[in-house]
Amino acid sequence: MELLLIGWATSRPITNLPLMVIDYDQSQTSREFVTALVNTGTFALEGYTWEMSTVEEKLERGQIYAAVIFPPDFSEQLAIASGRPTLQVLLNGAESSPALEASRSIEGVTRDFGEHITLDRLGLSPGDLAGFVPSLRMWFNEKLSEAYYTTPAELALMLEFTILLFAALSFSRERELGTLEQLLVMPFSSLEIIAGKAIPVILIGFADFVFLLGVVHFAFDVPVRGSLGLLLFLAVVYIFVELGKGMVISVLSRTQHQAFLLVMLVAMIDLMFTGYAVPVESMPVFLQYLANLIPAHHWLTIVRGILLKGAGIAVLWPSVLTLIVLGLMIGTFSLAFVRKALNWE
Amino acid sequence: MSEQIANHTIFARGLSKRFGDFTAVNRIDFEVRAGEVFGFLGPNGSGKTTTIRMMLGLIQPTEGSVEVLGIPVSGNPELIRPRVGYMSQRFSLYNDLTVSQNLTFYGKAYGLENDLLQERMQNAVEMAGLVGQEKTRTRDLAGGWRQRLALGAAILHKPELIFLDEPTAGVDPVSRRAFWDLLYKLVTEGTTIFVTTHYMDEAEHCHRLAFIQRGNIIAHGTPDQIKAQNMSGQVLEIAPDDPERAMIVLRNAMQIDSLPLEEVSLYGALLHVIAKDMQIIKGDISSLLEDSGIKVEHAAVIEPSLEDVFISSMR
Repeated sequence: MELLLIGWATSRPITNLPLMVIDYDQSQTSREFVTALVNTGTFALEGYTWEMSTVEEKLERGQIYAAVIFPPDFSEQLAIASGRPTLQVLLNGAESSPALEASRSIEGVTRDFGEHITLDRLGLSPGDLAGFVPSLRMWFNEKLSEAYYTTPAELALMLEFTILLFAALSFSRERELGTLEQLLVMPFSSLEIIAGKAIPVILIGFADFVFLLGVVHFAFDVPVRGSLGLLLFLAVVYIFVELGKGMVISVLSRTQHQAFLLVMLVAMIDLMFTGYAVPVESMPVFLQYLANLIPAHHWLTIVRGILLKGAGIAVLWPSVLTLIVLGLMIGTFSLAFVRKALNWE
Repeated sequence: MSEQIANHTIFARGLSKRFGDFTAVNRIDFEVRAGEVFGFLGPNGSGKTTTIRMMLGLIQPTEGSVEVLGIPVSGNPELIRPRVGYMSQRFSLYNDLTVSQNLTFYGKAYGLENDLLQERMQNAVEMAGLVGQEKTRTRDLAGGWRQRLALGAAILHKPELIFLDEPTAGVDPVSRRAFWDLLYKLVTEGTTIFVTTHYMDEAEHCHRLAFIQRGNIIAHGTPDQIKAQNMSGQVLEIAPDDPERAMIVLRNAMQIDSLPLEEVSLYGALLHVIAKDMQIIKGDISSLLEDSGIKVEHAAVIEPSLEDVFISSMR
């Protein structure tokens, strides 16, 4: 089942990356160019705008992956033999695979487009003209550094795995060793037992996150462009979310081994929906909706947003709000579930 | 009924637990009096542990009720738990903690502090015979010592009632003996003990017993009462020179009804034969064996042991 789901979501080529266009040229040529881009399947046209600020904002929020800006003389320059048509392309460099795919796609279309135009209108062979070269710019990751893509995501996911695993082992370990029953007949309330299990997990998870953030920043030169305080606060929120999931796994499992396998299952599903391997936008629409229910998806958006984009709460609020709401839901359910499991073993 | 409850440390009526279609415990009634060792006997999977878990409020009975220390367990486990001790079937201490760390954890869990905690811990260490080993991790202790340490931890808070679930399973006979000596010492101090076991010799040591089989209590009372009520015949102990062949001969006779026997079982190198009116057929048994070429060195009617009763009533 999991294999099918992952296969379904990841086997597909990267498609439907949202694209925004600023067309100062307003010509048939520029429209044809956009159509050609969309026809590659890599992009889905999000819309046209006149405002650079709209493009910037949407890139920051992760609502679009790429923007194409046609200068006013685009078609004019293209039409004359000695013209030097230019085109500006902005890409979201915070995520590796879609960015590379997008740039490949744009380069391909540009080359193709250039050749067609020259052949059609001037009757010259492709070699006679230099064509035109789009000026590509990777936002948020100007150097297109691999560390920028991977380390923030790994930082985010490492926190999830650490918390899930530690929490999942908490009760399953006691049950496997036979000490759980003993613990339950002691004069502790179930809340005290849960707190006793949760506090070390929270402390270990937070210390782990701070340490890894230090490594990512100092050893891999990944910037912290946004607010460190906000990041740490949201890390704590996220810790509670995963703690809740881990605790439920923990009371469901009879052995540590079983708990470990369940953590792997949950973590793999989460990993798929984080956009770490394949952007969520390329997934089937149904799975895109599902992704919104995965806390790790929002957490990854937040970590990338704060580290690479310098995004603040004004930009990140949808993810933050969703994370908090999901956290409250998971937390409430998990607390009730674990208490029930502990009270009536 | 309230008078009865007042005199009983445990009072169970119609107690049942079903897991789906499987009935683990079937409407059992029993009571445990203050200050006695109450043995709960049964083969593996007969419902012993399930019954203990219901008494501790770890699982909810499907039907019926049980009162522990005069308090209905259902809904009030938190009132009962501080006053009882529990030693589970599995080794119940933390293996990666030392002897004294385990005891400290138990003691503090039950609200013991400072001098009182130190004193009780010292007693427990002495009782378990672990003086000088306080810094040893419990995983490195031998079985008998671990069991005694677990008992020491379970009684650190001086509970009025202790539940012991197969406490001596897998422990050598000398250590078992030492363990039971500790239990008697606790009883003289006024503690009530509820112990499950499948060792028959241990059952003889209990003040009162209940036999449980497939969730049903099939006998209940003192060892003597149980022997009197549940043995339909007398036991003839025979010492033949070939016990196995003697058993086959007698079982054949039992099957073809040539002798009115109820049970023939091996008892080490001896045979135990159960029958009504043993004095009358005793001679027939001996002559049947002699006719089959088996020499009988000795044959005598003896007091039935609990094992005889157990085997006879488990049939």
